[in-house]
Amino acid sequence: MANIEAKVDRKAGHMVRTATQSGLELKPFYNAEDINHLSYEKDIGDPGAFPFTRGLYPEMYRDRLWLKSFIVSYATAEETNQAFRNYIANGLTDLRLLCDLPTQAGIDPDHPSAWNSMMCGGVATYAIPVYEKMLEGLPLGEAIFEFAHAGMSSFLYFYGLLVAVMENKGIDLQTLRGNSINDPIRTKLVYGCPDFPTKLDRRICLDHIEYSIRNTPNWRPIAPNGVDPCQGGMDAIKELGGCLAVATQVMTDLAARGIAIDDFGAMVFALDAESDFFETIVKFRLARKMWAKIAREKFGAKTKRAMQLKIGIRTSGLSLTSQKPLNNAARVTLQILSCVLGGVNSLDASSIDEAIGLPSLEARIFNLDTQHIITHEANVPLVADPLGGSYYVEWLTSRMEQEVNSYLQEIESRGGIFACLETGWLNEVMEAGRLKVQREKAENKRLIVGVNSFREEGEEGPINKAIRDIAYKSPSLAAREAMVAEVKAFKAGRDKKRLAPLMKEVYRATKENRNTQRPVIEAAKAGMTIGECVGVIRMGAGYNYDPLKEIETPEFVREIVKE
Amino acid sequence: MPKEKKIRVLIAKVGCDIHERGALTLLTTFRDEGMEAIYTGRYQTPKGVANAAVSEDVDVIALSDHTGSLPIIAEAVLAELKKLGVTDMPIIAGGLLTQEDVKVLERMGVTGNYGPGTPMDVILTHIRNVAC
Repeated sequence: MANIEAKVDRKAGHMVRTATQSGLELKPFYNAEDINHLSYEKDIGDPGAFPFTRGLYPEMYRDRLWLKSFIVSYATAEETNQAFRNYIANGLTDLRLLCDLPTQAGIDPDHPSAWNSMMCGGVATYAIPVYEKMLEGLPLGEAIFEFAHAGMSSFLYFYGLLVAVMENKGIDLQTLRGNSINDPIRTKLVYGCPDFPTKLDRRICLDHIEYSIRNTPNWRPIAPNGVDPCQGGMDAIKELGGCLAVATQVMTDLAARGIAIDDFGAMVFALDAESDFFETIVKFRLARKMWAKIAREKFGAKTKRAMQLKIGIRTSGLSLTSQKPLNNAARVTLQILSCVLGGVNSLDASSIDEAIGLPSLEARIFNLDTQHIITHEANVPLVADPLGGSYYVEWLTSRMEQEVNSYLQEIESRGGIFACLETGWLNEVMEAGRLKVQREKAENKRLIVGVNSFREEGEEGPINKAIRDIAYKSPSLAAREAMVAEVKAFKAGRDKKRLAPLMKEVYRATKENRNTQRPVIEAAKAGMTIGECVGVIRMGAGYNYDPLKEIETPEFVREIVKE
Repeated sequence: MPKEKKIRVLIAKVGCDIHERGALTLLTTFRDEGMEAIYTGRYQTPKGVANAAVSEDVDVIALSDHTGSLPIIAEAVLAELKKLGVTDMPIIAGGLLTQEDVKVLERMGVTGNYGPGTPMDVILTHIRNVAC
């Protein structure tokens, strides 16, 4: 070994591409000529002024920092509650609620298909007592909550549970703050959620929004989601285009229910923070600009609030690697920085151990501390939109706008976003994006450190090994068995006389095309489970009870739906 | 030189895991490599996977899961295969795995056990080894 001479390769580790992650070709530098066509007032504007490219508020982060949030959802209600308390003590300001995967698909833990993913990715929040336990002692009415679930039934049901818990405690619903993703495109495009067919998804989405706008004005009942389509293969252009198309369609549908954009208020998008640093920053600036224009020009928004787009972030889980997981710390830090430079409103950062399992406490404290370091040591948020006016950033914002506009025109020419979903076109676009990235990685035109480049031979070191070992472990068979027994006991112990008429009302509201949200809240208070909620709504809309077609309609539900 | 028989692979997902990108990436890669790859789609039962493996006469089952439940899923699929009289079907697995999961899976005879980002050539070489 000692007599082999070490050679230096001056080209080692050199750049392999000249385009952004979504394929926008770049010049080596930009100057004033590249942004000649832009007007400061029309295209950029001061922070707090239309079109909000530079941020929503004049004081930006001096006035209020972005919300620091995590999806916190471990196997049991007790663990999840304790984790929320730990994170709140470390600076968490925004509580993202989730549940396990079967619940998100709209089935109860005693459904045969629940077993293999039960209590994975979160608590099996099958009915109100679990929610009460999970939220015990958390500051309802003060904290901000977000629902990040996959199935459309989840938003209707869990918003229902949250309202039910608040009403049972006598907390004013005006104090309910936060948002639901409630995006009927993402639920099918990315997750293929079985709970409801698309036609029913679209209606349930509007039921939730309509009820929420009239009863919980501080709740944002839809946040078109670009994060998951992006993780599924869409690039930044199509991610943003998709969100704008969903928001536009929903505002149009709401108008038919008598809700104008000024009644609706601010829009929220859930966007992805990807690894391409500048493209990600530009995407956030552009999202605000494009929505402000659509709100004013297409929907005639008069209030400032209705032209404003708030951006909630989930940093890219897909960008994290199980190889040399310590490197994920660098990836996440850069993604967080791009969010702060892009002026986002809330931020859920992925954890360094997330390619191995659910995040551990320590990995998440690291995420919060990274944000504290960016704020207090690096002084990044002192000035709004610090990259505004950069020839490169302004040019790229404008360049991406052209691309997003042509994508939006294409969606329009194909009959709108729902038609694009149902013909399978959106899926083709997403698959093409996925294959492009896969090919670029295979051909070493996109380098992922530790994966297709800069790999190391031999055993990994102690730091990486430790990260691999701290990730959260999924629940055992015994825990799953106990959960099934718990659900069965819960179902058997309910006051069926009280529950039955309330569930019948959910069924009838669905059937008679009335808003389902209030009936769901009432039935949830009496113990209706997620699986039953999905089942009776499906039956009210003329479908069979079980979305997975494995179980029979329960006897008492058959009684309920008898006319 | 005799024409090589095409390797038939069943890519399977059991339960309610929504993470599909890994499975879809394998599907296109296997097909590009001249294999006959079939994907069950999401929300499948262990019984459904075992039936599909037998009726499609595949050489190997590739289980994908990102919920941390691969040992439980593999055990259930193995049990269903056994009911059908199949005890020698090679099963490989990939997704979210802890070191402990890998040990448990290896004891069951499930191989591969790859984490996210594993280079495709590693997976392809392994499939070719177990399939013949």
